[in-house]
Amino acid sequence: MTKIQLANLQYLYKRDDWEGPHPLDTHHIVIQWNSARIFLVHLFALLLFINAIYLCLLNGTLGTIFLLSMLSSACLVKSYYGTLIEKESVVIIPSLGVQLKAHYWSGRVVRSFIPIDKILKPVLNENVTPFTCYWSLVLLVCGKKELILAFKVVKPPVKLLVPSGRHCVVLLIVEKPQIPAEDK
Amino acid sequence: MGDSKRHRILMVSDFFYPNFGGVENHIYLLSQCLLKLGHKVVVMTHAYGNRSGVRYMTGGLKVYYVPWKPFLLQNTLPTFYGTLPIIRTILIREQISLVHGHQAFSTLCHEALMHARTMGYKVVFTDHSLYGFADVGSIHMNKVLQFTLADVSQAICVSHTSKENTVLRSGLPPEKVYVIPNAVDTAMFKPAAERPSGNEITIVVISRLVYRKGADLLVEVIPEVCRMYPNVRFIVGGDGPKRVRLEEMREKHSLQDRVEMLGAVPHAQVRSVLISGHIFLNSSLTEAFCIAILEAASCGLLTVSTRVGGVPEAYDMIVLAEPDPTDMVQAIKKAISILPMIDPQDMHNRMKKLYDWHDVAKRTEIVYDRALKCSNQSLLERLSRYLACGAWAGKLFCLVMIIDFLLWRLLQLWKPAEDIEVVPDIVLSLDEDRGMSQDFQAFNEDHSLR
Repeated sequence: MTKIQLANLQYLYKRDDWEGPHPLDTHHIVIQWNSARIFLVHLFALLLFINAIYLCLLNGTLGTIFLLSMLSSACLVKSYYGTLIEKESVVIIPSLGVQLKAHYWSGRVVRSFIPIDKILKPVLNENVTPFTCYWSLVLLVCGKKELILAFKVVKPPVKLLVPSGRHCVVLLIVEKPQIPAEDK
Repeated sequence: MGDSKRHRILMVSDFFYPNFGGVENHIYLLSQCLLKLGHKVVVMTHAYGNRSGVRYMTGGLKVYYVPWKPFLLQNTLPTFYGTLPIIRTILIREQISLVHGHQAFSTLCHEALMHARTMGYKVVFTDHSLYGFADVGSIHMNKVLQFTLADVSQAICVSHTSKENTVLRSGLPPEKVYVIPNAVDTAMFKPAAERPSGNEITIVVISRLVYRKGADLLVEVIPEVCRMYPNVRFIVGGDGPKRVRLEEMREKHSLQDRVEMLGAVPHAQVRSVLISGHIFLNSSLTEAFCIAILEAASCGLLTVSTRVGGVPEAYDMIVLAEPDPTDMVQAIKKAISILPMIDPQDMHNRMKKLYDWHDVAKRTEIVYDRALKCSNQSLLERLSRYLACGAWAGKLFCLVMIIDFLLWRLLQLWKPAEDIEVVPDIVLSLDEDRGMSQDFQAFNEDHSLR
């Protein structure tokens, strides 16, 4: 069951709440198609290609330059799509932990799993760069000095982050196995 | 707060915690008192090493450690327009109503005030130091100050001498400058239950051992006083390039048992050093307002100081001397003679009445109210103020402001203010009526699911 819940111009928040014998609670942040950026990359590749054809016509030969420019244009477009993230997801697996996923336009999916007993707390963190400030959902993980970003690339507004974080809190408070006193 | 409305203040300076000094202390203590008065205060400074990002200090004081690396003496690299995006973001997300810059030597302060004025915010500037007029460094600094203060709403100086100095350097109308001296935390600096007894008189010196703090005077004064008074000993706290000279003096005159060098003294331990003495000696060559003297007086010590800058304005029980070794020795002689008549507790009580950070905050609040009442002016009206700064400098300043204005408009198109999320005010105690902040607090606190 998919519910589109929140959106702005740049990002879309979706939640998949699968019930049944193996319930999963998945929160997606989808990057809205940035037409301007994609247009610019394709335009640049096209200009590279046209320049190569022009040089070939100027020299009167069709050869290495043309092939190299075709290759470099294709590589440019492929590498752009290869690094372009389509969406990032946080999959909350009750009693087990949290899986962080990044889906790329090329089809590649990068996953990482954090067991529930390692997660200390999810936190909404304010980040400051030399030019701007933004919010991020981070996980405090036992044994790690650095904060683990739930969404590594996307920088959505905080109202899109709060639902994911709230359900992480539910996972920890309700589902986290309690360690017996004698084992502490 | 009475009829005054709640202000949302952004304090900007290159000098803040974890750095320690007079300006840093002033910003921190003033911010704490303003928070207690019900205002919102946010501090903006540059990152210190790994200390980068947002931090919360006592009382919910929010500090932005912006990752701009310092390049010289804790100052951010001046970029003119590089800090415009981050300053705009902070002003919008924190819903700031007024920007308060500190210290003429802070490049971040100057840039923040410039950008804040471009965006139509009211600005207040506090000058903490005295500067010269003749050397190359001072001439350039004064020109930068003239540019920043040409369009400032109000200014604050820490003493009347400092006001005179600032007005002369910047050309600011005197009626725009308020004098609000620094204060001292009398709760922290209390005299000892019992004064150090015995025949020995201890003279305490705590300062940075640098030229402008008169370390060279100490090298002349200490041996002479030790020769005249066999029962006098010195405790010197602090560090700096002139420490070597003092160590050499100690060796030359065999004063190892009478002059104790403590090295750098953390501020938390200053009181324990002060209460071990009877007299506090300040040999500064220039001082806008000396908080060290107030701290010593609050601890019950009789103060001997050079008559420079704003020192005579501190209080009336200081034994003053010209910045000359002979005169200073005479002043110490006078202090030793009147020492039996000094009651440390009485001195502390006087300081308590005269100086209080809450009073400083209330007076600063008045300045903020007046700043906010200043009329809004268009760019053209403001440019006329910059033109008055000089034949060539005026035109250059106008050009800088026009470019800043255009960059601001560009930034408004690229990232409109509506896209910058407003940060809800985080209150320290749970409150039923939180509104928008409910999501944040309910989320980031452990008792969210109670």
